[in-house]
Amino acid sequence: MSRPSGPAIEIAGLRKTYVSHRGTFRRTRVQTVGLDGIDLAIEQGELFGLLGPNGAGKTTTVKILTTLLLPDSGEARVLGLDVVKQTGLLRRRIGFVFGGERGLYWRLSGLDNLRYFADLYRIPPDVSRRRIAELIERLGLSGRERDKVEIYSRGMKQRLHLARGLLNDPEVLFLDEPTLGLDPVGARELRVLVRELADSGKTIFVTTHYMFEADSICDRIAVINKGKLVAEGTPAGIKRLVEDQGVVEVEVEGISAHHLTGLRGLPGVTSVSVGEHEMAQVVTVRCANPAELITQLSVVLSGIKLQKVSSREPTLEDAYVQLIAESS
Amino acid sequence: MRLRAVSAFAILAWLFFPFIFAVVGLYVFARPGAANPQLIYGILGGGLIGYWGVAYLDGGLTIQDERWNGTLEQVFAVPTPLWVILLGKVCGSILWGMLSFVPTVAVAYFGFHALVPHLDSVRFAVSFAVLTFSLLTIALALAPLYALWRWALPMFNGFEFGFCILGGFMFPVTLLPGWAQGVAGALAPTWATRALYASTTSSGPHDFALWWLAAAGLSVLYLAGALFLYRLVDRRARMTGELALA
Repeated sequence: MSRPSGPAIEIAGLRKTYVSHRGTFRRTRVQTVGLDGIDLAIEQGELFGLLGPNGAGKTTTVKILTTLLLPDSGEARVLGLDVVKQTGLLRRRIGFVFGGERGLYWRLSGLDNLRYFADLYRIPPDVSRRRIAELIERLGLSGRERDKVEIYSRGMKQRLHLARGLLNDPEVLFLDEPTLGLDPVGARELRVLVRELADSGKTIFVTTHYMFEADSICDRIAVINKGKLVAEGTPAGIKRLVEDQGVVEVEVEGISAHHLTGLRGLPGVTSVSVGEHEMAQVVTVRCANPAELITQLSVVLSGIKLQKVSSREPTLEDAYVQLIAESS
Repeated sequence: MRLRAVSAFAILAWLFFPFIFAVVGLYVFARPGAANPQLIYGILGGGLIGYWGVAYLDGGLTIQDERWNGTLEQVFAVPTPLWVILLGKVCGSILWGMLSFVPTVAVAYFGFHALVPHLDSVRFAVSFAVLTFSLLTIALALAPLYALWRWALPMFNGFEFGFCILGGFMFPVTLLPGWAQGVAGALAPTWATRALYASTTSSGPHDFALWWLAAAGLSVLYLAGALFLYRLVDRRARMTGELALA
């Protein structure tokens, strides 16, 4: 489907600081930077992903764009409408879904939840009846719509969230970590659905921690860290940032901090991370020359058992890890 | 209204607690030797306490309820203004609150054979409508206050039954010391309750117009305060990002 032209979302110099207090008797004022002057433009019909670690500013960005937060300075427009001053007009034309189980009336049925929010969006009754029936069918909630939400599975609740977000047939849909806590099948179904929505012409702004998710569905992504954008482009373009590098994965048992320091000190190594796999640890080393690194492993990791050593092409996650490491 | 209908706490507040208060009140006022005009405090007092309790708790906690449900952000970000949504919810609570009078009047009639022979039904209906409006405006003003100021809920919690005394729900305000009568005069429901009880007795003097006007005027003041507080909630929530916090 051809995309309408023009930006759906424009952000310029957006800044947000949170103020909190520390201490019970001696209270001190603490300022935390949420966004530190970000600029972004997202075209209509685009499926855009915002990636970043916890506290990077993803949710702050979404909340400002959905009119839930006011920025300290800078400008943000969605569908040409100012998110600070034109909230009433904008709220009719956007939808949002936040991850997690909350945000629904658990003691009401899924159908009652949708009817209630349709009223709040001032959707005419004949339109809302038809649309709710369509959404229930499309999101696989048929037959369960009259059950109370409290007995829904996590996946059903998330699909109900999405149905609520689509009630007003929004032109721009914001999804804040929509697959958080879903099982792999549920997450995959949701990703397919999100891609279908984008293909039908909706602009979708999604935040996620999952790199493969961004890689598989997003047209374009940006990486944010400590309130600043550190990269922006297509998933392939972001991956190209690390194309001159390779990745070596080593499965070991009982690796120590001393060994990791040794690995980090090897020439050409850009980052080292450790994950768990069953009883062993998987050490991921990003480096300029994987073949040379593999020859040095037995020296650096002497005294521990190497179960498996493999080399692969860098993924989006590798690019992400490097970008975050460089910007931290 | 459906949310309230599935809340065990709300059902207790509408039906069970007023019933208890009514039974106690009727035992006190229907005892041998008690003057008959006082019996009306037993008949309506429990219902009034229940009605106030629903307005104060169910209505006043509408914003906090949304917070606890995790739905406040969803409700906040729709095109309908927050105060309009909450007005609907408070109206729903108030309508359910009227059920408080069912068990109290029933126990008075069937349990104590209590009747109201001098009831002026038109003045009673007007007084009840004014009382309902005053409770509605108090609930509307309390809702943003609870959201803005974390001390408001515990403070007003302690004040719940004090309000029943100052409102003259179980006995006339004229029995209170002068300073307390002054405080009671600033509460719209006090005037509406006075008119309500006066409409059940033929002994005067009664100045219904003044009482209704005082209750309605104070209620309009509460309403103006409520609208100001809603703007403050809207502004502060968007500034601090505290909407989702419990």
